[in-house]
Amino acid sequence: MHELLLFGQVPQSRHGQVLKILAGVAAMQPRRVLERHLLYKPQRQPEEPGSHLRRGGTQAVAMKNRPQAAVKDLYFSQLIQRLSQDDFNPEVQYHGLGLHATGESSADAKWTFQFHETPDTGDRGVLVRLANSTDILAGDPHSYMVNVGNQFVSEYYLEGHRFVHDNIVILLHRVLHEPGARSLENSPKMALPNFDALKPFDPSGAYVLEAKIRVHDLNNPSVLDAGIEELKRFKSQMKGCVELEVPERLLLDTRVKYKPNLVAQTVSRPVPGSR
Amino acid sequence: MSASGSFTNVALRPWPAPAREKLTPVEIHAQIAQLTTERGHLRYITEDSLQNEIDTGTDPSKAASAKEGVVQVEQNAAPTRQERLVEIQRTGQAMFSRLEWSSFYTTNMIDLVSLILSKDPSKRVEGSFSARFKEQNVPHGSFGLDKGAPTEESQKGALTRDSNTLEKKKRKLVAMGSRMEALDKGIDNILQAATELETEVRKETKYWGEILSVSQKGWSLQKLRRDARHSPFAVHYGFQEASDHFKARRLAPLRMDKDGSIILDPALALKPKTLRVRVTANGKILGTSTLPPQGELSDLGIEKSIQLARDSLFEEELYHEMSMERRQLGSFGVQLRDSCIHLPVPDLGGGQTNRIVLIDCVARDDKFLDADDRSEDWLAQKIAEALRILLAHEHHMRLHRRSQVPPPLTQNRRVHPSPPLLRTMLTFFHHTSAVNSLQNYLDLTVAAMTSAGLNTSSHVVRENSWAHLIEALKKPQDKDLSVADQILRSLSKPFDGTATLTLPSSNETRPELITINTRTYMGAPIFGSEYKVIVPPSLGVVLDLPQDQKREFRFTSATELEHYLDWILSLDLTHSLLPLEYGERAVVIDIIPPRVSIWTKGRKKRAKKDVVIEFARGALKLSVANPQVHGEAMTENEIIWDGRKDATSFKKTVKGFMG
Repeated sequence: MHELLLFGQVPQSRHGQVLKILAGVAAMQPRRVLERHLLYKPQRQPEEPGSHLRRGGTQAVAMKNRPQAAVKDLYFSQLIQRLSQDDFNPEVQYHGLGLHATGESSADAKWTFQFHETPDTGDRGVLVRLANSTDILAGDPHSYMVNVGNQFVSEYYLEGHRFVHDNIVILLHRVLHEPGARSLENSPKMALPNFDALKPFDPSGAYVLEAKIRVHDLNNPSVLDAGIEELKRFKSQMKGCVELEVPERLLLDTRVKYKPNLVAQTVSRPVPGSR
Repeated sequence: MSASGSFTNVALRPWPAPAREKLTPVEIHAQIAQLTTERGHLRYITEDSLQNEIDTGTDPSKAASAKEGVVQVEQNAAPTRQERLVEIQRTGQAMFSRLEWSSFYTTNMIDLVSLILSKDPSKRVEGSFSARFKEQNVPHGSFGLDKGAPTEESQKGALTRDSNTLEKKKRKLVAMGSRMEALDKGIDNILQAATELETEVRKETKYWGEILSVSQKGWSLQKLRRDARHSPFAVHYGFQEASDHFKARRLAPLRMDKDGSIILDPALALKPKTLRVRVTANGKILGTSTLPPQGELSDLGIEKSIQLARDSLFEEELYHEMSMERRQLGSFGVQLRDSCIHLPVPDLGGGQTNRIVLIDCVARDDKFLDADDRSEDWLAQKIAEALRILLAHEHHMRLHRRSQVPPPLTQNRRVHPSPPLLRTMLTFFHHTSAVNSLQNYLDLTVAAMTSAGLNTSSHVVRENSWAHLIEALKKPQDKDLSVADQILRSLSKPFDGTATLTLPSSNETRPELITINTRTYMGAPIFGSEYKVIVPPSLGVVLDLPQDQKREFRFTSATELEHYLDWILSLDLTHSLLPLEYGERAVVIDIIPPRVSIWTKGRKKRAKKDVVIEFARGALKLSVANPQVHGEAMTENEIIWDGRKDATSFKKTVKGFMG
C-alpha cells in the first residue's frame, strides 16, 4: 500500500481556527486522536553502502554469473497504540494488562505495527511513499518486535484531530514527549505517564497538518492520478488557510544510518572462504 | 627657398587695420547699439549707402537731434549749476523709488502667480516665491483663480441706458424664475431623497427583522458569496447528508421585495409534498396516513414556509430513495405503477389475507377523499413514520460512514448502496407475520395440550436482538453511534426469532425442548422467512435419526411447519409418552399416522388396542380401535381435546380405555 502525502504547518495560535475551517471543509466534527508511538530499530547493523564484499560461496563457475546481492537497507519501524484520554487516568489505567493487544476486529484493534519506507524520488507534486500497517489483535506487541530482531529506541505521543474528506484523511496533530533524557531506557514504559506531564516536542506547540490518501497499488496510473488530483484540489482549497507542501523527502527518511566505525568491526571478522 | 618657411605658418585674417582706426570689441558693440537705436536695423548699411545719406542730407539721427538741440540749448541756459545738481539728484531719487516700487509690484505679482500656480502640484513654484512671502507662511494652494462672467459694470459702457434697464429687468426676472425653479427642484429632490431614505430604512428594518426571526427559529443562514443586492442571505433548510440530487436543493436565497419583506424563493414556494401511505386489502383502502394540511402558502410566515419546504424535501427524498430501491425488490412483488409503489406485505397478525401497501408522493394540501374505512389508519401512519425514521437514520449513517477512515484507493469505485427502507419494512412485515403465526399456533397447541392434562409450555422471542437490547446498548460496538442509531442499525440485519416448546413426554425437571428459529432476510439465501426446527435427542430416537445427523429441519412456510410440528407432537405422545406409561405393553406400529398398540391389562384375555393420535390445528384427537375384531382398524372411540377446560386428562382417558 502507498500513501500520498502533503504537509502543512499550523501555529498554535491558529489551531482552533484551522480546526473549525477543516470541520467546515470536511463537513464533519473532528475526531480526537491520541496515539503512542514506540520506535524500533533493527538490531543488526547496516552494511556499508556500495560494498562488494564476497561472502563465502564456492568457486564454482555457476556462482560467478549470479548477480551480486544488493546491500539491503534497514529501516526503523513503529508500534502504534491507540489511546483515549481515559487511558491516561491513573485510576482506570491498565488492570495489569501492560503491553497487551486486545481487540476483536481491526476496527477496534489497539495496537498497530507500522512501517514507512523512505519517500519515493520523483516529483509528482505530492509525496509518495510505501507504507504498511498491520493491526495486532492479540499478544504482546513489544516482545514480538524484540523477538523478530528489533531494539526499542524511544517512544513519543501524538495528539490531534482527524477528519475525513472523501478519500483524504486529514490529521491535524502534534507530537508530545516526556521531557527529560530517555536514551537509557531499553523498553517502553508499562504505565502511561500523566497526560499533563507530556510536553510538545516543538516548544512553540505548533501543529502539523497532514493530508493523506492511501492508494492500494501504484501500478494503476489512473487511480494514482485521481488520488494526486484530489490531494492537489484539497491543497488549492486550503490555500490561504494552511499552505500544504511537499517536504524534503530525506526528512522522512526511515533508513538506519550507516556508521563506518561499526562496519569496521564486521569487516575485520574472519570471513570464511575470503582468502 | 626662404619663402617656403614663412608659408608653413600662414594665417588667413583680414588685413590689419591701421592702429588709429582700430576698433576694440567694446567700441564695435557701442557702434552696433548706436546703429540699432538710430536706424532700428543693421541691414543695407554699407559704406555707399551711408555716403549717399550724407550727400543727400537725409541723416535720420541728425534730423532728430536737430529739434532736441534747440530745446536743450534753451533749458541749459536757464538753471544754474547748483539747481542742476539738485534736480539731477531729485530725478535720481524719483527714478530710484519708482524702480523700487516696480520691483516690489513685480515680486508681488510673481508671488501671486506662484501662489496661484501652487495649486497645481505638478508645478514647482517653491523657488519663485520671494523671501518676504516665504516668511509669511502662506499655505500653498490657498488662492484660487476662476474665470468669471464680466460684471455688469464693465458692460455698462457698451449698452445704452434705456435698453439696459429693460434688459436688466428681463434678466432679473429670468434669473429669479430659474432660481426659483432650481430651488423648487432642489427641495423636491431633497424631499424625495428623504422619503426614499425613509422607505429604505423601513425596508431594511423589516428585512432584518425577518432575517432575525428566521435565524432565531434555528435556521442556519448563509451569506451569499456574490454580492446580490436584494438577496444578501440564503437559508439552509436541506439535509447535510441527503443524496446529491436533494443536497443541491437545500439552499434558498432570501430576497427582499418592495416592502422589505422576504420574497418566497421559488424553491420555498413549491407546493409542499408529503408521503402518502395507504393500506389496501382486496382492492379496498383500509387506512391512509396523513399529515395535517397547511393553509395557503402565502398566508404563512416565512419560517413556516421554510419548514414546509424542508419537510417536503425530506418526503421527496424518501420517495425517491424508495423508488430507486424498488428496482431491486421486484422479486418480492414490489412494483411501481402510476408513480405509486405497491408493496405487498403479509398480514401482521399471521392471518392469511395479504395486504398491499401503496406509497406515493402527493401534494400536501390534497384532501384524501378515498379514505372511507379508517380501521387501518394506525398501520399506515406507523409505516410512514417508520420510513421517515429509517431515512433519518440513513442520514446519520451516511455521516458515520463518511467519517471512517476510507479504504485505500483502488480501481473499483466505492459504491453507495441505496438505503434499505422498503427492504426493512418487508423484512419486518414478513418476520412479524411469521413469528405471530407461530405464536398463534403454539398458543393453540399449548391450550389443547393443557386441556388434555399434558404438561407443555412455549416461549416465543420475536427477535433475539430486541430481547437483549439493553445489554447490547450498554456495551456498544461503535461508540460514535447514538443509541437510537444503534437500535435502528439492528433493523437492517436479518431478523432472528426463537421459540421453544417443551415436549409433553419430557418430565418437568429436565424438559426437552423443540426449538424453532425463525429467520427473515429479504435476500439470498432465504428470500423471506424461514423456520428451522431443532428437535431434542429423544425425538431423534423416535424419528430414528442417525446420531451424527443434525436434528434440524427447515421449512419455508408456516403451514408446512405446523403440519410437521403437529406430526412430531403426536409422534411424541404415541411413541414416547405412552411407552413410558405402559412400558412393554406398548408396541409401536406406525409413524404415519402415529399409531401404537397397547395390550390391555386383563390377565386372561389380553387384547391389543390400537391408539392413534392425531394432532392438528390445536385439536388433539385420540382414536382407540380394536384391530382384532375386524381385519382393519375399527374406530371404537374418538375423543378430541381442543382447549376446553373441563375435559378429563389424556392419560386418564387412555387408561380408561385400557381398563
